[in-house]
Amino acid sequence: MSAIGAKPAGGAGLDTTSALVGIIILIVILGAMYMLGSSVALMALIGVIIGGILIGFGVHFVPVGGAPAAMGQAPGIATGVAMLAAGAGLAGLFGGAWAAEQGLAVAVITGGIGGGLMMAITCFMVNFIYVFGMGIPAASGKVLKDPITGDSQPEFKSQGTEGHGLPFISYVGGVIGGIFGGAGGTLIYIMLLDVYKESLPEMFGAQAAQVLPIAITLAGLFAIGIFLVNAVLAAYNITGTIEGPHDPKFKRFPRDIIASAVASAVCGIVAILLVAM
Amino acid sequence: MESIVFGIGITALAGALATVAGAAEDTESNIGSQGDPNSQVQLAPQMGYIHRIFNKAVAGEPPAYGLWIALGAGIAWAFMAMQINPILAIVLGCGLATFIQGVYATTAYLGRTASLAKFGQPVYVDILKSVTTVTMAHAFVAIFTTVTMCHLINAALGHPFPLPLLGLIWGIALGAAGSATGNPFYGKERQYQSQKFGAGVPIAASGNIVRYAEAGERNSLDNGWYTAKLGGPASGVCFGLIVFLELWRTVLFEPVAAGWGAIVVGIIMILVFAVIDRYIEVWARKTYGPYTTPEKEASS
Repeated sequence: MSAIGAKPAGGAGLDTTSALVGIIILIVILGAMYMLGSSVALMALIGVIIGGILIGFGVHFVPVGGAPAAMGQAPGIATGVAMLAAGAGLAGLFGGAWAAEQGLAVAVITGGIGGGLMMAITCFMVNFIYVFGMGIPAASGKVLKDPITGDSQPEFKSQGTEGHGLPFISYVGGVIGGIFGGAGGTLIYIMLLDVYKESLPEMFGAQAAQVLPIAITLAGLFAIGIFLVNAVLAAYNITGTIEGPHDPKFKRFPRDIIASAVASAVCGIVAILLVAM
Repeated sequence: MESIVFGIGITALAGALATVAGAAEDTESNIGSQGDPNSQVQLAPQMGYIHRIFNKAVAGEPPAYGLWIALGAGIAWAFMAMQINPILAIVLGCGLATFIQGVYATTAYLGRTASLAKFGQPVYVDILKSVTTVTMAHAFVAIFTTVTMCHLINAALGHPFPLPLLGLIWGIALGAAGSATGNPFYGKERQYQSQKFGAGVPIAASGNIVRYAEAGERNSLDNGWYTAKLGGPASGVCFGLIVFLELWRTVLFEPVAAGWGAIVVGIIMILVFAVIDRYIEVWARKTYGPYTTPEKEASS
């Protein structure tokens, strides 16, 4: 049996015990933050958790075909789940960080649009190469009809493959995934930046302007780190490849939301207590 | 007005640098066989097909390029802090990062190929000597152009992130764009050149990569020559568009309506790309036609 024909070992359901343990850890971390830090720090941690959930949820939308996609054996983009999502999300973080002075809402949306634009261009170029470089039309292996356009899919799958290219639903999924990733990464960055901007001048006994580069660097580094943690967690949840929101694997996202919340809380409390205690 | 013209000029230059970076990145990864298609290079000896293709996919392209460009940018940043001229600092930083890439390529090829010894795959020392330096040369072009682009974004456009952090972000994005666009062309069109054009590779053919060239055995330099014709430039256009449009919408439209201008322009651009993508998808369906007659169950 080929790798793409194999059934995934993990089920789609939510394990109640694990979910409860995860929620308890989350509450304990939030309680610890409330006891140890200021209200700004608690709000920042909640922001980091929401950002992490957005990233983890967004990764499930990104159509990734891995190695089989590189041979036109399976639909999706021919690279790894976590890495493609990171590429899009970090491109969004780049734009969001630039717009940080414009306020939280504008910065987060700018970050989301930056991630979405990166994915829109990348998905378009993937189809360009498939159609004009390889002469292969897009076809999904998971659904009979594209849920958005209604185009039938099975007769466009070439013999012996699971499908290829990016049907329109996968394209839209990629853009949505990029938007969630970019917005989540930017939210984490801005939340951490607020904490660092407040705490670092006192810590170093320096002017706010003097420590600003350190605050930006620290917040950026932690945002990238927490982004990668959540992207990799989601990749483990997906196990291999996913076509987008129409793929049955997409239904696994509730598991990842709990996992992302806990992982972001653990990373977030470390990032905040570094300066807030 | 002058600042806007200056910003657009820097944006265009950054976009041009990104285009070269994308093309060099994809060609480097194809010569070194680092993308997802390398799974077939690793698989081939296990199926009895001994070959002379390079094999260095220990990490995916995005993390590998994140490392090399962050290294190049970090070293250049340190040299600049020592008051060394930025151009010299960037060249030195990228040169040192390229040596790290060379060490990576060498150890990856030796390690991965040696692991195939039980299937009879030899380690070719002449391949190591001739291909490693070519991947290093392409890697230098990709690293240098991306670090220079990051320096422009930081120093001329005023992005708040320091150079090494920008290097990490754009390095990962470069690897993601290059592998997404270039991998199918290298994987399907080159490694499986003997398969029918206009169809995916049947799963049963996995591992049966093309191993012979016009004269003698095919090597990775032949693959670089081939993919540099379309996969490389397309990857360059992809990364160039990403960088140029992201900077363009920010430089020109962020001052409009307190940042909402850039958001609206971004949404419009996403919609434009969606329309073009849909047009291409429909064109391909009509032009290439279905492989089989539509099933009644599927169409009902």
